[in-house]
Amino acid sequence: MSTPLQTSRRETLRSLVGASLLLPGLVSDLLRADAPDAQGDPLSPKPPLFRGKASRVIFIFSNGGVSHMDTFDPKPKLFEADGKTVGIGGGLSNQQRRLLRPGWQFRPGGRCGTMVSDLFPHLRECMDDVCLIRSMKGEDNEHYQATLGIHTGSFFFSRPSIGSWISYGLGTLNANLPSFVAISAGSPYAGTQIFNNDFLPAYHQGVRVVPGNEPIANLDRRTVRSGLQEMELGLAGALDRGHLKARGNDAELAARIRTFETAFRMQTDARDVFDLSKESDDTLALYGMRRGQTDGFGWPCLVARRLAERGVRFIELVDGSSSHNWDQHGDMAEHAQHARNLDQPVAGLLRDLRRRGMLEDTLVVWTTEFGRTPGVDGEKGRGHHSACFSSWLAGAGVRAGSVYGSTDEIGATVAENRVHVHDFHATILHLLGMDHEKLTFRHGGRDYRLTDVHGNVVQALLA
Amino acid sequence: MSPLARKTSRLARWACCLAAATAAATAAVRGAEATLYRALNLNGPELVLDGRKWEGSNAPAFTAKGNRFENQSVPLRPATDPKRAQMIRSSVWGSRVELEMTGVPTGDYQVFVHVWEDTQSEQFDLVLNDRVVAEKFHSGLAGSWKRLGPWPVRIEDGRLRLFAKAPNHGAANLSGLEVWSGDGPVPDPSKPVFNDDPTAEQLAFFEGRIRPVFVEHCHECHSAGAAKLKGGLLLDSKAGVRKGGDSGPLMNPASPDSSLLVRAVRHEDPDLAMPPRRRIPEAAVADLVAWIGMGAPDPRTEDTVAAAATRSGIDWKSAKDWWAFRPVSDPKPPAVDDAAWPEGPIDRFLLARLEQSGLAPAPEADRAVLLRRLTFDLTGLPPTPAEIDAFLADTDAGAWERAVDRLLASPAYGERWGRHWLDVVRYADTAGDNSDFPIPQMHRYRDWVIDAFNRDLPFDEFVRQQLAGDLLQTGRAETDHQRTIATGWIANARRFGSRVDDYPQHLTIEDTLDNLGKAFLGLTINCARCHDHKFDPIPTSDYYALYGIFDSTRYPWPGIELDQRQRDLVPLVEPERREEMEEARRRHDEEKRRLEKAVKELREESKSVAAAEKAAAEKRIQEAEAAVRAHVDRGLPFGLAYAVADKPKASDAVIQVKGDPARPGGVVPRRFLTVLGGSTLADATRGSGRAELADWIVAPTNPLTARVMVNRVWQHHFGRGLVATPNDFGRQGRAPTHPELLDWLASRFREDGWSVKALHRRILLSRAYRQSSSVTEEQSLKDPTNELLGRFPRRRLDAESLRDTLLVLGGNLEPAPRGPHPFPKPSDWKFTQHNPFRAVYETRSRSVYLMTQRIQRHPYLAIFDGADPSTSTGRRTSSTTPLQALFLLNDPFVHGQADLFAERLRSMRASDADRVREGFRLALGRSPVGDETEKSLAFLKSARERSVGEKDPEAESWRAFARVLFRLNEFAQLD
Repeated sequence: MSTPLQTSRRETLRSLVGASLLLPGLVSDLLRADAPDAQGDPLSPKPPLFRGKASRVIFIFSNGGVSHMDTFDPKPKLFEADGKTVGIGGGLSNQQRRLLRPGWQFRPGGRCGTMVSDLFPHLRECMDDVCLIRSMKGEDNEHYQATLGIHTGSFFFSRPSIGSWISYGLGTLNANLPSFVAISAGSPYAGTQIFNNDFLPAYHQGVRVVPGNEPIANLDRRTVRSGLQEMELGLAGALDRGHLKARGNDAELAARIRTFETAFRMQTDARDVFDLSKESDDTLALYGMRRGQTDGFGWPCLVARRLAERGVRFIELVDGSSSHNWDQHGDMAEHAQHARNLDQPVAGLLRDLRRRGMLEDTLVVWTTEFGRTPGVDGEKGRGHHSACFSSWLAGAGVRAGSVYGSTDEIGATVAENRVHVHDFHATILHLLGMDHEKLTFRHGGRDYRLTDVHGNVVQALLA
Repeated sequence: MSPLARKTSRLARWACCLAAATAAATAAVRGAEATLYRALNLNGPELVLDGRKWEGSNAPAFTAKGNRFENQSVPLRPATDPKRAQMIRSSVWGSRVELEMTGVPTGDYQVFVHVWEDTQSEQFDLVLNDRVVAEKFHSGLAGSWKRLGPWPVRIEDGRLRLFAKAPNHGAANLSGLEVWSGDGPVPDPSKPVFNDDPTAEQLAFFEGRIRPVFVEHCHECHSAGAAKLKGGLLLDSKAGVRKGGDSGPLMNPASPDSSLLVRAVRHEDPDLAMPPRRRIPEAAVADLVAWIGMGAPDPRTEDTVAAAATRSGIDWKSAKDWWAFRPVSDPKPPAVDDAAWPEGPIDRFLLARLEQSGLAPAPEADRAVLLRRLTFDLTGLPPTPAEIDAFLADTDAGAWERAVDRLLASPAYGERWGRHWLDVVRYADTAGDNSDFPIPQMHRYRDWVIDAFNRDLPFDEFVRQQLAGDLLQTGRAETDHQRTIATGWIANARRFGSRVDDYPQHLTIEDTLDNLGKAFLGLTINCARCHDHKFDPIPTSDYYALYGIFDSTRYPWPGIELDQRQRDLVPLVEPERREEMEEARRRHDEEKRRLEKAVKELREESKSVAAAEKAAAEKRIQEAEAAVRAHVDRGLPFGLAYAVADKPKASDAVIQVKGDPARPGGVVPRRFLTVLGGSTLADATRGSGRAELADWIVAPTNPLTARVMVNRVWQHHFGRGLVATPNDFGRQGRAPTHPELLDWLASRFREDGWSVKALHRRILLSRAYRQSSSVTEEQSLKDPTNELLGRFPRRRLDAESLRDTLLVLGGNLEPAPRGPHPFPKPSDWKFTQHNPFRAVYETRSRSVYLMTQRIQRHPYLAIFDGADPSTSTGRRTSSTTPLQALFLLNDPFVHGQADLFAERLRSMRASDADRVREGFRLALGRSPVGDETEKSLAFLKSARERSVGEKDPEAESWRAFARVLFRLNEFAQLD
């Protein structure tokens, strides 16, 4: 028989998971496996459904639509563009336009020889760790919808982000840090919806980190006088303990006291995550960073490694913002500056993870919301193109050094092995040991999934 | 025409109308049916469509100028038969396409053109013999196609010319041309003509070759005897096969191969493949094709359609047996063993269940605890020390009742309970499209809700006005304006996208229906958008029956990236001033055009001015532009409501197969949900049907509305509803813990004239509400989740109560309602998905007045489980996170309020101990007990010592003390 404290812990857990009293999926598993968890924390680590290769994810999202035919998908036919042949081009409207020659040559990278353009000379050298997908497909040619889709599986309605789903499914390994962190200097398309928990409980929302002085809101002590905050917490603790005792050690009250202890430690522990002063020159060089530099993509990549080391489950890195990004309608040459910003830091992250042995159980994902058109937009730009684009996976459990799927000879449509956004999500969950059809949450009378009613695990992407 | 001749002519049409296509037509008799003169496949071979011959692109006496294009891999919307699809998907395109037909005999003609879109929408004009027949036509999403026309034209010079012109790099994509001779009605090629006079051979063919196929392969799902009827299709009667199902008509004898039935059995479209997992034999398919070609002769006379009209796949008898659909009963309060405890029927219902489980209710809570509980519950604010003193001093029998009435009468009550409703209706101050346009008028609806609770507007009236206030006008201006504003509930539905063409209005209607179901009925009717509801008795036809009502409603336009100006808002003017208003609007638009023209002219002029005068010219332009902006911002001389109106013409909706608007199925008349009686609109109804819908929702025969609302009220008083899933009373929801109590309350609610305040009183005057929240070991074993309510559930303050309390304690809560938000001026609106509207407005008003955006959570509300601004929040989650603790530790707002609170305490002329006491009373609603004062004083002393060197160590110590109080569990918790 359970003791009162235990039953009331169950009660708390129930109330904590909020509106859904039916506790579907993994939360009910958690309640069943009640005994070993003394913390009573809904974010405590949860066993996956089966043994996944990955235990955490670093999800790199490039805003604006990265051109596949200028980066990861070589199209010799396009290099022959004569200024007369037409294909899909234009801005949002995908009109018939003359084909535009890619601006960068492709060369093989790594031992596997995967072809990557000169936009990514560093990443090209990491291709032996990468499983490249050249046959991604989305559903919408607008940034907002496509960005929402690649993050939530829903192209119009707001739904929980993939990071929230994974936090909900697996919990966190470090109670002093959030389970889902989104490093985003600017505001992405579709706003905070892309790292929002939506109907999942609030613990699963992505905590926004902004590179700079106070990366997490309210992380800095506002009481400067040393020891004063400790004294305040001391008095609060004493009063709270009396209150708690008079209320039969109510587990929810106890849990709230604990959050203050955690928050107190976060002021230093989380600070520590963002303190790069102890990183060696060698490491900084790997990420292409100067000491003290917080702009550029090196800071997010290096902080991502540090968060991963400390057990954060899902780390999203947002490259660009809704107003400054890869959306080159007028002149594709501007892709170069965005590639420069991304290339060495991301390659550095892969190398750093590899040399620390972390690539074994860390899944690194790179994607954008859609590709770009083979035909011209404006003078020298390309339009939006959701019919096909490239993304890649690296690290835990993926078939490294491989290429999956292909597009037609000008990169206008998927030619073989289409990977829809839903398939992409199903595969990521699978790598973490979760079945996308079983990771459900009941809301408004329905069991919701990241993949809605679609999606298949793409076995060919797995090692 | 004799009956025999008519039959012959019909037969002729499906058997041998090919001849008609080649018959040279001269001017036909006016009014007689038009005949096809020529049909042309503009980029492809000759072919037969709908039994008529089409010429190929090499046809004589015809030229088409433009580029040739073909892409047969694009799925068409709506899908069509393979031959037509082939014709459509090969086309002539360009920024200017010219079609010319020569040698056309003099006469009246009617012209159709087939257009399509292979990728994304283009815009173009069509000109027929120098007359613009279509202006700025949008070609639509990839795969969209349309047969545009008929356009009448008189030909006298033998030439028929059709030009397509696309400005701004656009392109027109023309696939086919039809020219009909005569000005009479053009026969609808899609309208099937069946053979109703079959020969004996044809009937034998049906009996021997067709009926067995239907019986063997189809009847399992498509007959009156099917266990579960699928797709609304019956193949066991003539009426059934000729009517078709949810996906539309089944066959057309003019084109057997392209009939839905044949395409389905051939598995041409994976979504329509029938039977789903196997194919019927090839020979049987050939027989079906032949049979359709005969005109589908069918001897069956039994009408299974009428018999099955009321059934889909749902067993209505057992469906109606679900507890929530049963009529509301009026049960007698049960007898109880402990007759002394109950003070009323509610107590008896609760106590009976407790006694059954061998439990007893908790003792009454401390009176100070009770007042704090009640005050937060009804107003979302803490009781003042004076109120506490008065209540503790009032030991008369009616003290509690007086406190309840005092708080119900407080304006803060509406702000608290209005917020609960705003949660349910997913209120937001922005539209939710890609740029998240602000809605400066939305606050009027928010204020209407608050006011409705404060004046205890009967709930049935509350429902009626939100659905149809604009249709329930009284002639009294102020009342009517308020009723119009109430329809802001519909207007506030979420918007999507950034494009004007292919604007996804169907998603906005879905959002409306989703909210309608959850808010008023506790049903998830949106599940029936793509298929019959999997758990509840809501067929897709019910969904589209309601859809038609909102599709006949004009929603206001909030602005969108590619069309930034608001329109279709409802002016708040008296009927007799309508003309005056229209005149004002006309003048305003005219003035705007005049000012814009002036800018344009100045720009033109400036191109030719001398270099020395450039600066002056530029200045003049800027002044003129400023004048335009000022004019736009000045707006119209009357208020506007973000509200709805009926469209000029109401119509029933067409089922969208699998929720895809590009796949139209059958038409469904507007009506109410079948399981709730399926009331239909009277024949004479001319409007959208919203007023009728409101009546159906609040009708005594609908058991849901009253139950759903009393459950919401109960939930906010007791932390959880008698039904724990307030937005879902269906099979996926939770059953009621006390069904009889729920019905008793619903009966009283109606009896009390749907008075919400009367309902509050009944609940709050129960003894159950005054129980202590302490839990005994026995209770936690037998009823750990407190379903039986043998104690009061301890609760957290919600986001709004927490913030409002900090403002109250800081003494800087702005008492007046907030009014409109300080949005940017409309002339500055240039929102895009790249730079969407984004703002957080600081305010000291109550949190219900915080500006709420759809695509950016308010940072504070996101941390403290605020309502979801995108979808109905029936019940908030109550999470406990370190981010909340960090907020209370370090947020500048918390520190600022603590500073003000500390100043208030210090300004008291009293001892430190008295100040501590007052701090406790203000923050916790009670005086310190035990060693609390002592500990606090010791803390103040150490804090002062710690702060030596600060400007004012004394002040610092009180600020620290204030922060401590703000972070206490007791502060954030209600016993």
